[in-house]
Amino acid sequence: MDWQSWLIGTVSRALAFGTPLLWGTLGEIYTERAGVVNLGVEGMMILGAFSAFAVAQTTGHPGLGVLIAAVVGGAAAVLHAFLTVTLRANQYVSGLALSLFGLGLAGLLGRGWEGIPLRQPLPNVTIPGLSRIPVLGPMLFQGQSVLTYAGLFLAVVLWVLLYRTRWGISVRSVGESPSTADALGVNVFLVRYLCVGFGGLLAGVAGGFLSVAYRPAWTEGMTAGMGWIVIALTIFAAWDPLQAVWGAFLFGGLYHLSFRLQEFVAPELLKLMPYAFAILVLALTGLGKARRRWGAPGALGLPYTRGER
Amino acid sequence: MRLVRLVAAVMVATAVLGAVGFAQAKLKVGFIYVGPIGDYGWSHAHNLGRLIVERDLGVETVYVESVPEGEVETYIDQLVRQGCNVIFTTSFGFMDGTLAAAQRYPNVIFAHCSGFKRAPNLATYMADFYQVYYLNGLMAGALTKTGKVGYVGAFPIPEVKRHISAFTIGVREVNPNATVHVRWIYEWFNPAAAKEATEALIAEGCDVFAFTEDSPTVVQVAAEKGFPSFGHYSPMYDFAPNHVVSGQIVHWEEIYVDFLGKVKAGEYTAKNLANVDYWWLLSQKAVELGAKSGMPVNPVFEGALKAYIVDHPVFGRISVYDLVFVRLAQMGNPGITFDPFEGPVYDRKGGLQVPAGHWMSYDALITMEWAVEGVVGPWPGEP
Amino acid sequence: MRRVGPLLVERRITPPRSAVIGVSALAVVIALLVAAIIFWGYGVSPWQAYAAIARGTVGSRDGINEILRRSLPLILCGVGLTLAFRAQFWNIGAEGQLLAGAVAATGVALFAPLPGPWLLLAMFAAGFLAGGAWGIVPALLRAKLHVNEVISTLMMNYIMIYIVEWLIHGPWKGATMRGFAYSDFFPAAARLPWIPGSRVHWPTLVIGVAAAVAVALILARTRLGYEIRVVGQSTDAARYAGIDFLRVIAWAMFLSGGLAALAGVGEVAGVHFRLRSPTHISMGYGYTAIIVAWLARGSPLAAVFTALLFGLIFAAGDVIKVALRMPFQITGVFNGLILFFLIGSEMLMYWRVRLAPKGERWTGRAGSSER
Repeated sequence: MDWQSWLIGTVSRALAFGTPLLWGTLGEIYTERAGVVNLGVEGMMILGAFSAFAVAQTTGHPGLGVLIAAVVGGAAAVLHAFLTVTLRANQYVSGLALSLFGLGLAGLLGRGWEGIPLRQPLPNVTIPGLSRIPVLGPMLFQGQSVLTYAGLFLAVVLWVLLYRTRWGISVRSVGESPSTADALGVNVFLVRYLCVGFGGLLAGVAGGFLSVAYRPAWTEGMTAGMGWIVIALTIFAAWDPLQAVWGAFLFGGLYHLSFRLQEFVAPELLKLMPYAFAILVLALTGLGKARRRWGAPGALGLPYTRGER
Repeated sequence: MRLVRLVAAVMVATAVLGAVGFAQAKLKVGFIYVGPIGDYGWSHAHNLGRLIVERDLGVETVYVESVPEGEVETYIDQLVRQGCNVIFTTSFGFMDGTLAAAQRYPNVIFAHCSGFKRAPNLATYMADFYQVYYLNGLMAGALTKTGKVGYVGAFPIPEVKRHISAFTIGVREVNPNATVHVRWIYEWFNPAAAKEATEALIAEGCDVFAFTEDSPTVVQVAAEKGFPSFGHYSPMYDFAPNHVVSGQIVHWEEIYVDFLGKVKAGEYTAKNLANVDYWWLLSQKAVELGAKSGMPVNPVFEGALKAYIVDHPVFGRISVYDLVFVRLAQMGNPGITFDPFEGPVYDRKGGLQVPAGHWMSYDALITMEWAVEGVVGPWPGEP
Repeated sequence: MRRVGPLLVERRITPPRSAVIGVSALAVVIALLVAAIIFWGYGVSPWQAYAAIARGTVGSRDGINEILRRSLPLILCGVGLTLAFRAQFWNIGAEGQLLAGAVAATGVALFAPLPGPWLLLAMFAAGFLAGGAWGIVPALLRAKLHVNEVISTLMMNYIMIYIVEWLIHGPWKGATMRGFAYSDFFPAAARLPWIPGSRVHWPTLVIGVAAAVAVALILARTRLGYEIRVVGQSTDAARYAGIDFLRVIAWAMFLSGGLAALAGVGEVAGVHFRLRSPTHISMGYGYTAIIVAWLARGSPLAAVFTALLFGLIFAAGDVIKVALRMPFQITGVFNGLILFFLIGSEMLMYWRVRLAPKGERWTGRAGSSER
């Protein structure tokens, strides 16, 4: 096999496997940018995966399925927001509880839905013209999901929103210093609710992608730990939507390579490669970089009470 | 007064029990599964067997799902406390816990799936697929154009290694230069891993696929790219009606109904199971060839398989389609006249593993670690 | 202070113990009421359900043993995590540290020719060191290379999982396991005794409680404990106070990882007697312990009790699964609900409600500080 096959295979698989990671990570970035950690990504994703499948199967419209998955993910996130923003409950515990709850509920509702092929999966697209370009065409523009490109586009939009608009400044200030933001007239509670809810929306889409596009079927536990990877990628991306793109696709590519390279390296050691690589990259970037750049939002994880500092 | 009533009740109960006999006592059967019954794989299949038992034998059944291997004893305790008198434990990892429990509860009948330790009240059972994998291999060998067949394996353990080797023997019987390329995912159930492993095999040029893991992922991914594949464990025809060639289906109910029938009849008791081992294959109908019950070969592929003619050392010029059914009859009818691992079989390092004219013993089969010639890829634990 | 009808609601700075216990109990009761609706929806009488759960847990000797057994790994992991969390070091890696302990203990059990009780002692010691070493890595990465510990500890869990997989499929695959991926069984001297009539490997319990006391003493009485608390309050303050950040978090993580690893030693020496698939050694104990440590609000002694609470929840889950024959996923929903209500009610603890004297007016919200 020549290098072209390796390049094309790895990059195109990186895009596909990286897509749910990207959606989830973009959501968690906004959540955490507003100062709230949501460890419930796994739960929101699996709820999204089930509802997308159930709706797509019943109605025959996979797109509608993804939409409902977003709503369900968002609703689950609002529960987290209510607990952590309004009731100021511990964010870590609330998120872990949400994961437990989501996995349980999805498994419960999903009983009897397994072993059924989805009658109409979300189709993959091949972009006419561009897909004909040698190497680049098959690498980037053949047989990818619409949600892959939508995710990329969303990353750019979210980056612009976060860094180039007043609204983005509000979000960031809420995450850095809610009392300052409050003093400047930003509604801290509203921003947090919106961001957490939005994060759940995207996690729901990520789950929906898994059950109606990536592998169109429902089985309980099908997210298989992706939600935790999302949490890691959020930090890996230094809470920056554009860096999330390369983080998610890098992880996707490595994950794929961990199977491709099995002919040459012991498979167990390959399986741990993506995880070791993530640490390695952070360590290398950490060498000589200012600490601030990798710093989390200042008020991450802390509840906010008006009138306090 | 109360005491008198109690004594009377006990006496009546004893009399009734004595009249009916212990063997006729109502059966309550417990099943312990390692995964969720919604896995559409191993535990799902055992649970289908349980439902058929309930329907056909009219016995009460109880099940516990998603039981971690180290926890099996505590769940056995709970089932016994609930009054179960027959308990099936359905994972290799449950073996030692089941044995310990069998010694603790000498009056309860136990049966452990896929293990090798037995006791007077502990039988073993297994429905194995290696013959069916071999038949699938014949078809895969005929259908590959690139000469590379892909195989996604869950864990490199004897069961899966046996399946891959049997499959490869089939492939090479009709296509001597073809190779079987293996990828391990180290999980029984992880659709994403199965998908990326399949994609890796596709990138390497494989164009026909088989697997041993608990989801229809490989079938779906292959079909997406237009490649033929073989289902595994549960009926997977519906997932790709135009691309699934055949596969394996398990019928645990055959074993469960037989075993419990004999328990009901008093033939099996908690005293005489030390030599009871069900190693049920095609001829006992515990496993079936096909991706859908009653359809050994998908009609879509009938033409291609009939058109692929080989010069067979035993049968002369024969189409692969016919070869499959000849071999199926040889293994599926009572009085088995063929085994995939019929010697001479060499491992891929060149060592003679099965001498000419010999079959592998049961022990050799269930501890098989080597790979036959034609298997390409990592093989952890290769001797 | 705020007036609600005839009542006056005040916020207080630290809730009294009675409020913590009272409100928590109330939360659990409400959660149980909500769960009752689910039981009822499944056609199981909630009354019978809770009666069965009580019988299968706190209401019988077997049940109490089950609670203890289920909480063993959680006590050690949870106590260890309180130490890291006090230093504001988000150790998500107890799962991997636990497995590191299991690996080291297996190595000693299988390959060290030690006599009698020395073998078990060596297993615990080796486990502690291995887990401690595995825990120090993220501390070093954080202090030297600014690698966020949430990511490094989480990733290191996966790395350890595959190291265990590699060991049981490769070099440590047991000769007596017929090709299956398990290490050989430990010799009898490497097995922990059980409380008679149960499967509770009591030495682990003793070590767990002793560890809780020791960690409490370290935090309250030693220089290291003081430094950990200062670092936890503010790294800047720690720097001004001349505290060596690296040294403090390295120690905190060494101890935290070591304690989680002791749980792993207990699991292989008291339950499995061999190394086996990582997902069957730890059912996510390292992650559950995060909740255990959080509910304990960073107090190692309280972590023993929150671990027992989780032992109870798990044991109740078994009853739901086996005796009530409900789908096992209910347990996830059930646990999630209890947690939601427990933490959601936390704010109530900070409220003091009393009858408003006539004529008093609303005066705005009083300031208070969280925890």
